[in-house]
Amino acid sequence: MMSTLLKLEQVHTHIGQYHILQGVSFEAKTGQVSVLLGRNGAGKTTTLKTIMGLTPASSGSVQLEETLITKHATHQIAHRGIGYVPEDQGIFGALTVEENMKVAMRKEDDMARERQEYVLELFPDLKKFWKKEGGYLSGGQKQMLSMARAFVNESKLLLIDEPSKGLAPVVIEKVMEAIVEMKKQTSIILVEQNFMMASRIGDTYTLIDDGATVHSGKMSDLVSNEELKRKYLGIG
Amino acid sequence: MELIINLTINGLATGMLIFLLAAGLTLIFGLMDVLNFAHGGLFAWGAFSGVWFYGLTNSFTLAIIGAIGTGIVLGFITEKLIIKPVYGNHIQQILITLGFMIVLSEMLKVVFGPNQIAAKTPPLLSGSWEIGDVIIIKYRLFIIVVGFLIFGIFQFILKRTKIGLIVRAGVMNKEMVQALGINIKQVFLYVFMVGAGLAALGGVLMAPYSGVIYAEMGMEFAILAFIVVVIGGMGSFPGSLLAAILVGLAGSFMAYYVPALSLAVNMMLMAIVLIFRPQGLFTAKG
Amino acid sequence: MKNKFQLKNGALLVIVAALAVFPFVSDSRTWTILLTQIFIFAILAMSYDILLGYTGIVSFGHAMFFGMGAYTTAIMLDRFEPTLSIFFLSIAVGMVIAAFVSFVVGLLTLRLKSHFFAMLTLAVSGLFLVLAEKWRTLTHGNDGFTFKAPEFFKDRMMFYLLVLVCLVLVYIFLRRFVDSPLGKVLVAVRENEQRTKSLGYHTLHYKVIASVVAGIVASLAGSLYAISLRFVNTSVLAMDITLDALLMTIIGGVGTLIGPIIGAGVIELAQHYLSGLAKDFPIFERWIIFFGIIYILAVIFFPKGIVGSIQSVFSKKKDKSFDPVLKRAKRKEVVK
Repeated sequence: MMSTLLKLEQVHTHIGQYHILQGVSFEAKTGQVSVLLGRNGAGKTTTLKTIMGLTPASSGSVQLEETLITKHATHQIAHRGIGYVPEDQGIFGALTVEENMKVAMRKEDDMARERQEYVLELFPDLKKFWKKEGGYLSGGQKQMLSMARAFVNESKLLLIDEPSKGLAPVVIEKVMEAIVEMKKQTSIILVEQNFMMASRIGDTYTLIDDGATVHSGKMSDLVSNEELKRKYLGIG
Repeated sequence: MELIINLTINGLATGMLIFLLAAGLTLIFGLMDVLNFAHGGLFAWGAFSGVWFYGLTNSFTLAIIGAIGTGIVLGFITEKLIIKPVYGNHIQQILITLGFMIVLSEMLKVVFGPNQIAAKTPPLLSGSWEIGDVIIIKYRLFIIVVGFLIFGIFQFILKRTKIGLIVRAGVMNKEMVQALGINIKQVFLYVFMVGAGLAALGGVLMAPYSGVIYAEMGMEFAILAFIVVVIGGMGSFPGSLLAAILVGLAGSFMAYYVPALSLAVNMMLMAIVLIFRPQGLFTAKG
Repeated sequence: MKNKFQLKNGALLVIVAALAVFPFVSDSRTWTILLTQIFIFAILAMSYDILLGYTGIVSFGHAMFFGMGAYTTAIMLDRFEPTLSIFFLSIAVGMVIAAFVSFVVGLLTLRLKSHFFAMLTLAVSGLFLVLAEKWRTLTHGNDGFTFKAPEFFKDRMMFYLLVLVCLVLVYIFLRRFVDSPLGKVLVAVRENEQRTKSLGYHTLHYKVIASVVAGIVASLAGSLYAISLRFVNTSVLAMDITLDALLMTIIGGVGTLIGPIIGAGVIELAQHYLSGLAKDFPIFERWIIFFGIIYILAVIFFPKGIVGSIQSVFSKKKDKSFDPVLKRAKRKEVVK
C-alpha cells in the first residue's frame, strides 16, 4: 500500500455568504494521479483552492504528510511542495515566458536550472517562445507554461485544474503526455471534466457532488461502473 | 516661444511632483486594490520633515534623505496599523485611510505649528540660466531631472529585477503569485513603504518650489495624484508618468491662457477618461 | 414586536417634547445655540447616512450640497429682502439646485467602483469650492459676507423651534423613505450590488435616487446653517463639513438614522468642551486629532457605532452578521 500524501477530512469552505464545500473528504496517495470528478459547480475547483489556502477551509482539516496545513497561508503551502495550475492558467500576461518562469523559481541554483531544463524538454514550445509575452501565447502554450511554472520548484504534489479545457485534441494529447511524464517525479491531483482523459491517466477517483464527496475508489472500478457514471457524471 | 518653453518647464516640474505622489498610489492600488487616501498626508510630512532637516543640517541632500526616511517609517506605520486591519473591505479602507489623513495633517500642526512655513531653495539650485530670451529656473529643471531619474530607476527595477517582476506579476494576478510561494503581504508592505518614500520625496522637492508649505497641501496634491492615477490607469507605472505630465502641462498652460479653467481642466480630463475608458489610458492588468 | 415599536416611538416623542419646551424653561443662550447647531448637523448627518449607511456609497463631496443650500439662502436673503417667504423660497431653490447637481453628478459617477466614486466626489466638490472662491461677485470668496436674517428669527428661540421641526420632519421623511420598498432595494444594493442587479433591478437608478434625496436634505441643512450664522463663506463647501458628517454617522452608527443624530450631539458637544479646554491645554486646539483617532478605532473595532452596538446588545437573536439591516433581510430570506 502506498503512503498517504494529502488527506482532507470533512472540509467545509465558505466564500462570502455562500457555503460551497459541505464536507469534502479524500486521500491522495504518493506517486499517483488522483482525479476529482463531478458536475459543473460541484466544488472541484474550490477543493483545489482550499488545499492551496486561497479559499481557506472554515472547518475540517487538510493534512500534507504529517503536517496540518489547514490554516497555513498560501505561500507557505506552496513552500511545502504543492504546486498549483489554475483553471485559467494564471499566466502573467505582460511578462515573457522567461519572466513567468523567473517569478515562479523560488531558488535560482543549479538544481533549479536543471529542473527548468527538464521542464523545457517536456514543453519544447516554451523554449521557442522564451521571449514572448505570456498574453500572446495560445491556449495550449499557456497551459504548458502554467504547468511548467508549477513544476519548476521541487514539488510533492501538483494541483491541476481542467488542463484540457478549451484545447484542441492534438494539444490535449501533448498535455496528457506531459502529465504522465511529470507523474514520475510528483503526485498529482487532477480536476478533469473530460472523462476520456481522466480515465486514461487517473489512478484513483473522487466524486464530488453538491460540495461533498460522495464516492472514491480505483479509476478502473469507475470505468466499469455505469450506474455511478450516469448518476454523477451524466455519461454512459 | 520663450513663453511656451517656460510654461512647458513649469508644467513638467509640477507634473513630476504629482508623478512622485501618483507612482506610489498606482502601485499600491494595482497590487492590493487599496486606494490610499492618506497618501497626501505622507507627501505633506515629507515636505515638513524635509524643511526641518534642512534647517537642522543646512544640507539639502540630508533633507531629502531625512524626508524619504520619514516617509518610509510613516508608510510602515500606515500599512501595519491602518491598512492591514481592514484589508479586503473597500468601504472600510476608504473611510479609514481618510481618517488617517486627518490625523496625519493635524499631527503636522501639532509638531510644526499651525502656520505656513517658508522654505528656502538651496543656494546651489537657486537662480536661473538665461539662454537667449529664455530664462530657465534651475530648481525647476532639477525637479524634472529628479523625476525622470526616479522613473528610470523604477522602470529598471520593475523590468529587470526579480522583485520588480514579482510586483508586476502581483498587479496582474495576486492569487497566482501567492500560489507560486511568494508572500504577497510582505511584498505589499515593501511597496507601500517605497510608495510612501516617493510621496515624501515629492513633498520635500515641492517645498522650495512653492516657497511655503502648509498642512493642507497634502490633500491638494493628493487630489491631483488621484486624477493622474485614474487617467494613467490604476497600477500602470508608465501611465502615471505620462498622465502626470499631461496634468502638469494642462494646468500650467491653462493657468496662463484660461485661468478660470485651470482646475476644471484636470477634472474634465478625468471625467472624459472615466466615461470613455474607465480602465485608464494604460492598463496594467491582464 | 409591535410593543417594542410603540415603546421606541413613544420614547422619541418624549425626547422631542422635552427638547421643544427646553428653551422655555432654560434661558441659557449658549445651550439654545449649541442645540440648534446639533440639530442642523443631525439633519446633514442623516442625509449622509442615506448614502453611507443605507446604500453603501462613500461620498467625499457631500459638503457641496450643504454649501449650495447655505449659499442659496444667504444670497437670496441678501439680494432680495430678508423675509420669511424669501427664506422658504430660498430653501426650495437650494433643494432644486442640489437635486439637479446630485442627479447629474450621480448619473455620471455612480456607475463607477467605490474607489473611483469617492475620488470623483472629492474632486467635484473641490471644483465647487474653487468656483465659490473665484466667483467673488456672487460669494465674496473666502471673506464671505453677512446678511440679514428674517425678522422672525431675531428671537433665537423661534429659530431653534423651526430647526427642531425640520429635524423631526426630515427624520420621519427619511424613516419612511428607508422603510419603503425603494429603501429596501437600497439596502440590497449595499449588501450585494451584483446580486441585486441580477434580480433585475437597475441599481444605478436606485443609487441616483439615494444621492438626490441625500443632496436635497443636505441642502436644507445648509440653508438652516446659513441662517444660524447670518454669515456665509467658502468654509461651508470645505472638506471639513463632509468629514463632520462622516464622523457623526460612523460614530453614531451607520444605517440607523438615529445614530447620526446622536453622533451629531456627541461631536458638537465634544467639540464645544474640547475647544474650551484649549485655553489651558493647547493640545486641545487640535481636538480633531482625537476624533480622527476615535474614528479610526471605530472603523476597525466598532463599525456599528453607538446605536448599532446598543442594538446588537439588546437584540436577543444571535446572528453572526454585523449589520442590523442585513439581519432583518436574512430573516426574511429564511421565512421565504
